[in-house]
Amino acid sequence: MKVKGTYKRSDIWLAFWLIIPTLIAIGITAFYPLGQTIYDSFFKWSLKPGFEREFLGFQNYINLFQNPRFLSSLWNTIYFTFFSVLIEFLLGLGTALILNADFKLRGLVRAAVLIPWAIPTAVSSQMWKWMYNDQYGVISLMLYNLGILEEGTPILGTPGMAMSAIIAVDVWKTTPFVALLLLAGLQIIPNELYEAARIDGASIWKQFTSITLPVLRPTIGVTLIFRTLDALRVFDIVYIMTQGAVATETLAVYNRSLLMDNIFSPRGLFGYGSALSVVIFLIIGIFTLIYMRSLNIKLD
Amino acid sequence: MKKVVVLFAILTMVLSVFSITITMTAGAVGRELEVLYEQIAVFMEENPDITVNVLPMPNSSTDRHDLYVTYLASGTPDPDVLMLDVIWPAEFAPFLVDLTDDYDYFGLDAFFPGTVASNTVDGSLVAVPWFTDAGILYYRKDLLEKYGYDVPETWDELYTAAKDISAKEGINGFVWQGARYEGLTCDVMEFVHSFGGEIMKDGKVVVDDPEYYDNNLAAITFMNKLIVDGVSPAGVTTYMEEEARRIFQNGDAVFMRNWPYAWSLANAPESPVAGKVGITVLPKGPAPDGRNSATLGGWNLGINVNSSPAEVEASKKLIKFLTSKEQQVYKAVYAGQTPTMIEAYNDPRTIEANDFYPDILDVFLNAEPRPISPIYSEISYEIQVAVHQVLTGQSTPERALDSLARNLKSLVE
Repeated sequence: MKVKGTYKRSDIWLAFWLIIPTLIAIGITAFYPLGQTIYDSFFKWSLKPGFEREFLGFQNYINLFQNPRFLSSLWNTIYFTFFSVLIEFLLGLGTALILNADFKLRGLVRAAVLIPWAIPTAVSSQMWKWMYNDQYGVISLMLYNLGILEEGTPILGTPGMAMSAIIAVDVWKTTPFVALLLLAGLQIIPNELYEAARIDGASIWKQFTSITLPVLRPTIGVTLIFRTLDALRVFDIVYIMTQGAVATETLAVYNRSLLMDNIFSPRGLFGYGSALSVVIFLIIGIFTLIYMRSLNIKLD
Repeated sequence: MKKVVVLFAILTMVLSVFSITITMTAGAVGRELEVLYEQIAVFMEENPDITVNVLPMPNSSTDRHDLYVTYLASGTPDPDVLMLDVIWPAEFAPFLVDLTDDYDYFGLDAFFPGTVASNTVDGSLVAVPWFTDAGILYYRKDLLEKYGYDVPETWDELYTAAKDISAKEGINGFVWQGARYEGLTCDVMEFVHSFGGEIMKDGKVVVDDPEYYDNNLAAITFMNKLIVDGVSPAGVTTYMEEEARRIFQNGDAVFMRNWPYAWSLANAPESPVAGKVGITVLPKGPAPDGRNSATLGGWNLGINVNSSPAEVEASKKLIKFLTSKEQQVYKAVYAGQTPTMIEAYNDPRTIEANDFYPDILDVFLNAEPRPISPIYSEISYEIQVAVHQVLTGQSTPERALDSLARNLKSLVE
């Protein structure tokens, strides 16, 4: 193994040149748009031709945090994220433990479990929207038959119920993904550990808390980061199923409305929308830091 | 042989110097795209120097809006001819070629005045009406007859008939578009106007003007009453056009509010209600302010301001061709899309294919535009939210109208 400082000069230069295209690509695709968005967020600005940029400082951010629509979409996003990630994690862990066990047709079951995740979200959202329909939806029918719902209740049109319905779709769609990640983590635990534990007389629960969970911790961390970041910017499911009506609007759905519906608005909402984008970015960044700290994950 | 090839090559090169290619966006609902391809083939035969590329768009108007936003904001010269929803001209006007001087070239005197007005922004014409839309009432002829009801002329008559028949038949009374999206704004405008109310007038917010407030309140209250009393299923708060149509076409509703496109589908051979459907104007609100009202919909053709002068000229030719009487008749017959030119309705071919046209011609003549404003989407959003909160039981009509008035005023002033 080479020690730092023992590389040849030419090797270092080669490495430098090889990494440059990557840096440029990241700069163009990630940092430039990010910087531009942050810059725009300080202005009253619209893409309408002839619109005069007007410097506002932090006014867009101040307005944002006083806007009830922003606050409710922030709350909706956090609510969605908390419940969908929690349920997905628990169900995914259970699924992974089952799939990790030895049984016949394990390969087939593993593949089958992945189907919901393989369907494009736009397609599955539309499919679930139909299943939730009050007149011909199969889910509505089942819930009526079980006496849980009154006949004719529109699941996606009822406050409270609509958000739960959306979370259910996300859980259905993403649990396989969580299970897959956790399964990969489980696979690296050597069987000898469990054998030794069994010989020492450890119960299944003891084995789970003393072997499985600690070894799985980095995987759990990565899984939770992936899922939380995805959930915090949830867009397609909500947009297709309710367009954000009945208290289901999330930050990303609100952001689309500001940046697309009102892009040429003479009210100069492009800067305002940029401020919202920055806020979403910050929220996601903060969550990532919290996770990495609390789970002690290192990126290198 | 060689000489011919060389000659041909030179000829093509010379021709290509004078020929021009333009791009046009188009919808693909029902048969409209196939019909457009047929029309464009004819146009290119008549104009060998012009080649037209067609760029199909998503079905949803909102998604089309997103697409245009990215085209126009980036300043790309393509597409040249833009198919525009009737609510967009004010917002997109800075990106569209001013066609005011071409008023006579397009023969716009022969068009429905409402459709031309909806394309006029601050006195400038920015697009040419291509086909129009207006809200209409579909009803079950057989069921009205069975229970001895006339075709309803007022909302109260519709309410009574729908409630009675739906209870006896075990189906829905009246389905419409109650999901929180642009379609709800269309429906709200119809209820409000037919009750003699008004939300915006001449760019001013008049929701809470004493002159209109009571009628606005009555209209929203009536919409809510339809749901509370079970005349409309609670699910209308999630329905768009197609959800309502599926229910009606399946024979599960007595009345439906929808656009004309549903007619040919409801009467298709495989439709369970084929031949049992009638079509009429939407009912009047209660006297003395009540009147019939239909919201103006439809699509227009405008030209991208970044196109080169030659492309603009070619685009004008294409638009003139597509909006000519002959082509409007063709479109009405084969794609079922309603003409914007009055003359096209008198053509026997149009009437043969759409025998309800003469009865509801007045609806199209008098269709009422939604508020014309460069911040239309924000205005529409506020209307949708206010009414949807009433319909889903999150607010009362009074509170919703108050907050609508407040929010609209903060937008406009």
